Amino acid sequence: MRLAIYLVAAPVLGGLLAGLDRIISARMQARRGPPLLQPFYDVAKLWQKENIVVRRSQNFYVLFFLLLVIFTGALFFAGSDLLLVIFALTLAAIFFVLGAYKASSPYSFLGAERELIQMMAYEPMVLLTAIGMYMVTKTFHVHEIASHPALLIVWLPGVFLGFLYALEIKFRKSPFDLSSSHHAHQELVRGITTEFSGRALAMIEVAHWYENVFLLGWVYLFFAAWPPAGIAAALAVFGFVILVDNVFARLKWQAALKSAWLAAALLGLGNILVLSLIAPGGSRPASTAVVPKPAQAGSTAAATRVSAAAGAPAGLGAPMAENLLRGN
Amino acid sequence: MSGFKKSPWIIHYDASSCNGCDIETLACLTPLYDVERLGVINTGNPKHADIFLVTGAVNEQSREVIRNIYHQLPEPKVVVAVGVCASSGGIFRECYNVAGGVDSVIPVDVYVPGCAARPEAIIDGVVRALDVLEAKHAEMSSLAGSIDKILYQRADKSDAPEILALQKIAYQTEIELYGDDSLPALQQTLEDLENDFERRPQREATVLGAPTPPAHPVDESDRVIFLKAVINGKIVGSIRGFAVEDTAYLSRLMVHPYFRRRGIGRKLLTAIEKEFPQVRRFEAKTGHQSKRNHFQLLSLGYQQFKTEPYNAAITWVYFQKFQNPSDPAVRGENRPALNLV
Repeated sequence: MRLAIYLVAAPVLGGLLAGLDRIISARMQARRGPPLLQPFYDVAKLWQKENIVVRRSQNFYVLFFLLLVIFTGALFFAGSDLLLVIFALTLAAIFFVLGAYKASSPYSFLGAERELIQMMAYEPMVLLTAIGMYMVTKTFHVHEIASHPALLIVWLPGVFLGFLYALEIKFRKSPFDLSSSHHAHQELVRGITTEFSGRALAMIEVAHWYENVFLLGWVYLFFAAWPPAGIAAALAVFGFVILVDNVFARLKWQAALKSAWLAAALLGLGNILVLSLIAPGGSRPASTAVVPKPAQAGSTAAATRVSAAAGAPAGLGAPMAENLLRGN
Repeated sequence: MSGFKKSPWIIHYDASSCNGCDIETLACLTPLYDVERLGVINTGNPKHADIFLVTGAVNEQSREVIRNIYHQLPEPKVVVAVGVCASSGGIFRECYNVAGGVDSVIPVDVYVPGCAARPEAIIDGVVRALDVLEAKHAEMSSLAGSIDKILYQRADKSDAPEILALQKIAYQTEIELYGDDSLPALQQTLEDLENDFERRPQREATVLGAPTPPAHPVDESDRVIFLKAVINGKIVGSIRGFAVEDTAYLSRLMVHPYFRRRGIGRKLLTAIEKEFPQVRRFEAKTGHQSKRNHFQLLSLGYQQFKTEPYNAAITWVYFQKFQNPSDPAVRGENRPALNLV
């Protein structure tokens, strides 16, 4: 049931958000902007256009991109494992990149390579976000994280800011609109979407709607203990992304990659290190940071609770804290 | 509600404009005019665009580019010529390197006059173009909806203009394949095509070969036979063929780009074969890179039997098929290429 609601509501919400994005962007540039439903008009039109392809298989990849993005969101909103969600999301993005590679045009190639660089830039932070959430709530399952009594943002302010940085890249907004830009309409290079037309382009557009709703859902997770704040935060993040989009010029890919990793290291990893020193929400024994042995035991116990794959990154925190203490 | 009127995406190309019209075109995007109100996006990518907006007269440099961009626009599409130079060549019309207006290369739907065209006029032109776009879409969807009701009929002389128009559109993909627009199919004029309806290749061949007068002067069977594929009264495909002695020469198989991959070409081929029950052998030729034609012919039982260079870019590949393969008399005979291609 919840899944059915998600399947219908997510593209509607995503499309409305995209329309809102265009209106707000226009107002920021002292223009009136298109109607709110413009993204739906665009997709309806694209759906009826001829689909010109270089190779027919490129449409196949785009179809799987769409399906996997929907699958990612479905896993997330069904309350599944956060790590599985991340893997599905990465796989979806890989299909998109493969589709662009398949078209074998220089512009498409360039877009695909830049998309890969962007993935390299945001992946570490996305993983750290999942780990940070695990360290506070002791679970990777979204429904358990959502029902956790503590406000996650209190324990993960750094992770949240780092995640915000990754979101800027994930939304493909300036200053990180390297692979495909909605703004540089004048440019010949339309990046990763260059060789897609008609239905394939419509599917890419719809996939972005699903993706954006999923990402904002993740923002909500930081405030899940207090839903009004969660919704407000998701909308605020969306507004912030639009503001940054309109204020900043594009970065070079080197700068995008370096700054994203720096943000992941400082904000994400820093937050997680601090978190391993102080006990969040009383859910861990207070002695964790001081005495290494119970921490070790605690983390192995946690590792047995979640899957084996999830256990490896989960165990990271305690040994790190241990090393830190030894160094001291 | 097709959405075409609400989401016109434009690609803008400067053919050889003085930049006056370009600046006015870009002015449409500024806060004063803000065409995004109408859903307009300046895409910069032909594969995403619906409207091709051209400024400036066509010169030898831009001719190929215009043609290239036009063919990368997915159907349905419209062309807007902005400014007097794009409309007719303007003051550059007589220049040695100017071909004329945009309509000397591709079909234009809306002309926006002015030097330079005012932003209001350009927006007006785009809005008019939306009506054309909508009409084209309606036509195509009504045609596509009745794709299984295609009629395969004999064409007559009154169909010549429509067949020629289709020929010019359908052969554009061949230009892309070979990078050469000297194909005879693209050079053909309306008079020439109309004459084809009157031609009697059998008699021409007889006159060349043996001076025997035709036995039946009123017999119509030796004319060039034109077939057309018709959907809702619109011709979307055509083929022609004629018989000389025991061979039927088939040529100019064409299907509108929007209706390809739906078996229309195959049905046209089989239909025209039935028009020549008396011949022993069918012959068709096509360019060496037109692999889809090769595949089509091979799947219908044709076999490649010779190649012949036409020019630097194109080599003709000849295919043949025997109607009665057991008859040894017609085997291995290389007929002169008395072909209309």
